[in-house]
Amino acid sequence: MITDGAAFAFWVLAVGTCLAALSVVLLRNIFHAALLLVLTFTGVAGIYIVLSADFLAGVQLLIYAGAISILIIFAVMLTRRPVMTGGFSRFSISAAIVAVTLVIALIWVTVGLTDWSISSESPIQPTTAPLANALFDRTNGWVLPFEVASIVLLAAMIGAIAIVKDK
Amino acid sequence: MLKTEPYVLNMGPQHPSTHGVFRMELLLDGETVVDMRPIMGYLHRGIEKLSEERSYTQCIPFTDRMDYLSSMTGNLSLCLAIEKLAGIEVSERAKYLRVIMAELQRIASHLFGVGTFIDDCGASGTPFLYMLREREKLIDLFEMASGARLTYSYIRPGGVMRDVPDEFWPAVRRFVAEMPRYIDEYEQLLTGNEILRARTIGVGILPREQAINASASGPVLRGSGVKWDLRKADPYCVYDRFDFDIPTGKQGDAFDRYFVRVQEMRQSVRILEQAIRDIPSGDPLPKVALFFHPPAGDAYGRSETPRGELGFYLVSDGSIAPYRFKIRSPSFINITALCDMVVGWRIADAVAITGSIDIVMGEVDR
Amino acid sequence: MDWRDFYIYHLGKVNESVRSWLSAHAAGWTAYVVPAILGAILLLVFLLPSQLMVVWIERRLIARFQIRRGPNRVGPWGLLQSIVDAIKLLSKEAIMPRYADKWPYLAAPVVGFIPAILVYAVIPFGPDLAFADLNIGLLYLVAIGSYSVISVFMAGWASSNKYALISAMRSVAVLVSYEIPNVLALVGVILLAGSLSLTDIVRAQSSGSFTWFITVQPLAFLIFFITASAEVNRTPVDLIEAEQEIVAGHHTEYSGMKFGLFYVAEYTSILAACAVMSTLFFGGWHGIPWLERYIPPWIWFIAKIYIFFAVFIWTRATLPRLRIDQLMAFAWKFLIPLSLLNILVTAVEVLLIDNTTLAPAVWMTLLAVVNYALAALLIVAWSRAFRMPRRRSADIPEVRRLGALPAETPSY
Repeated sequence: MITDGAAFAFWVLAVGTCLAALSVVLLRNIFHAALLLVLTFTGVAGIYIVLSADFLAGVQLLIYAGAISILIIFAVMLTRRPVMTGGFSRFSISAAIVAVTLVIALIWVTVGLTDWSISSESPIQPTTAPLANALFDRTNGWVLPFEVASIVLLAAMIGAIAIVKDK
Repeated sequence: MLKTEPYVLNMGPQHPSTHGVFRMELLLDGETVVDMRPIMGYLHRGIEKLSEERSYTQCIPFTDRMDYLSSMTGNLSLCLAIEKLAGIEVSERAKYLRVIMAELQRIASHLFGVGTFIDDCGASGTPFLYMLREREKLIDLFEMASGARLTYSYIRPGGVMRDVPDEFWPAVRRFVAEMPRYIDEYEQLLTGNEILRARTIGVGILPREQAINASASGPVLRGSGVKWDLRKADPYCVYDRFDFDIPTGKQGDAFDRYFVRVQEMRQSVRILEQAIRDIPSGDPLPKVALFFHPPAGDAYGRSETPRGELGFYLVSDGSIAPYRFKIRSPSFINITALCDMVVGWRIADAVAITGSIDIVMGEVDR
Repeated sequence: MDWRDFYIYHLGKVNESVRSWLSAHAAGWTAYVVPAILGAILLLVFLLPSQLMVVWIERRLIARFQIRRGPNRVGPWGLLQSIVDAIKLLSKEAIMPRYADKWPYLAAPVVGFIPAILVYAVIPFGPDLAFADLNIGLLYLVAIGSYSVISVFMAGWASSNKYALISAMRSVAVLVSYEIPNVLALVGVILLAGSLSLTDIVRAQSSGSFTWFITVQPLAFLIFFITASAEVNRTPVDLIEAEQEIVAGHHTEYSGMKFGLFYVAEYTSILAACAVMSTLFFGGWHGIPWLERYIPPWIWFIAKIYIFFAVFIWTRATLPRLRIDQLMAFAWKFLIPLSLLNILVTAVEVLLIDNTTLAPAVWMTLLAVVNYALAALLIVAWSRAFRMPRRRSADIPEVRRLGALPAETPSY
């Protein structure tokens, strides 16, 4: 199964990322879970690198490992008791059923319905410019959705400030 | 608004910027000080009680160890009280020498006080060490006069320990001539500094009425705009013969206290110039024995130290030792106003405001 | 293998020739592994002595600023002082607070140190002298840089110390805020160079149409300098470990080599910040033209790093520290608007350059004059409008209502 360096790197990253992700879910200490989430994000970035998606990997590190996880850690700091020692909630069984159903559905959709033919094309080397062209091309790009998303985010930020600020 | 729970932070007694062993119990909301309690006593040595077992002259070394940054003025305050109690006369030359020593000491102490204050504002020691450069020259002067560099015990009841040596005069003249230029240098580095101004102007305001009510004295009181200086208000030694101003602040913030100290250094240089010019010849040594029996009674002697009014209240029962030895120490009284100054400010301001009061724990705890 | 490749001027060609020799004469994988290890060793040869030198330089230089002598006892001019300090740190007892959160506590110095080293992977010391010349170099730098927050936060939270916790809060607030103008300041350079690769950016600064970017991006450089000093904790903005307020910040509870690792990581990132500044704004490995023939590019680059380090020491020796709210206001109300304006202006200029018929020398001069004038104008105008917060954070009665200390003093 391991034929070259890329495959080796993939398996190390995949196993590491899955272990970290599992620990995030299973650990009782919410602060440790948040830190392991950073590790998970980093592992995903590593997989992007293996897939020659270097720009995406950089963005993954910057946005998820750098920013989202900090947000989560901030939220952890605002919780009253960072170490959760209580048992499972009384909804645990129904929650488990919902989660398992969703996971099965997701796997079915992603694994079962995907065409797994392997492209013979070599990966695009500098991915930055093609990504930018795909996003901001004048004729068939996504400039408008991009700008709309920006405005929505801006509105959300202003809304957050308005909610938090008293008076 | 997100509500968070305030928490207690014990700042000190071991902390880089609590000036020795001062302890602040801070109640913080995030970084904002909600409540504050000063806790003193870690350096308590029982000086008041110890003094009641010793002769009047033997008490003088204790005053060196109270405000160890301005031992001369400590000596002077106690000697003024003892002289008042025992009715001892002091020669003219001794009075002038006392003024010279007190003013040199004021400059030395303000240099140290301003330097540590700037350090408390976050500078990494450069202004502080510039100021220590001049303080070193002053310490050399004191060493010439008394033989000691920190605990002088130079001023004695009835005069001074001994006349200054001949090489003292050229050295002190050179210092007085150079000092204004150095003060300009400090001001160039600090007074206009945008960061320092942002950190100190309007920070830690002690309003005029509150300063008076708290019985504050020294630069803390004058920073709040009260023109009160014992050298003018209740002249001792020969201060009434000199021409000098009392600098005061406008609103009583940390910057005003800093600025008052810098201006006071300039005024001290003025006094020194006049005192060195006018000093008469004569014998400054005390005319009383080392051990004496003052008549039964009480006396309160005080002088303006760099930190404010240092007073000694002595009660004599006619014996060789004081019956009661009470110290009014300016650092202790000034620090009681701290709580009102820091509430509502951040941790960093609490440190800077404490630095602007310029406390010496040896004097607070005694 | 051509032995002339090993001439010290072309240090970068060494690896290239090793790689080509190996791929011709040895197993395929060695061509990847051996040059990588060689490169790593080369980096460490620069970094480890630099660590020791930089600490010594800082202590000696700041001593000169403060009319002292600095360390001068161990070895000639005290040069061995850092080594002795390192031995002392190594032999110290490693103390861990009883209520510390063990794994984050132990991992924090490592998490802080690895990104600090990783940054050097993309920094070009010479024309072919970058460990990995990624074409997303700048993005990589920014992404790796964002990990330092996590280290500070882990240390601060896990130490179970209130000073460390305050430092952790500050680090999150400050580093996240300063990341924004930091990245925005880079955008101007990216627009001009047209690439994220650091090697390409350096090449763009000598391509005939451009000289060093400091000539056309003064505002971006200033913003980057300030934000970089905030990110690496230098004095006017070193709130994370403000000694006078919160003792030593996040590493208050660290001793021995665990503290040493934080210390080393800090100096590594300072050097990295200096390297990035000289790469982006001061022509990287390029030197003074008529001397470039005699002095190898990597020496120019290292010299620039040390010059910037001296500038950092200079600011540290001179300035007091800002308060947390002032620092935040400075980032959000001063640096971010100015860096956004800088991007706007630069973007317009790049559009104009693309369509110009003027000679490069003419529009370069024009650009420099316009940008310097604009930078000066913006800074003056904005600082008139911008006021440092000087008020209390709230009215006293309002603050008082939040709580009060228990009436009796707790027993000692």
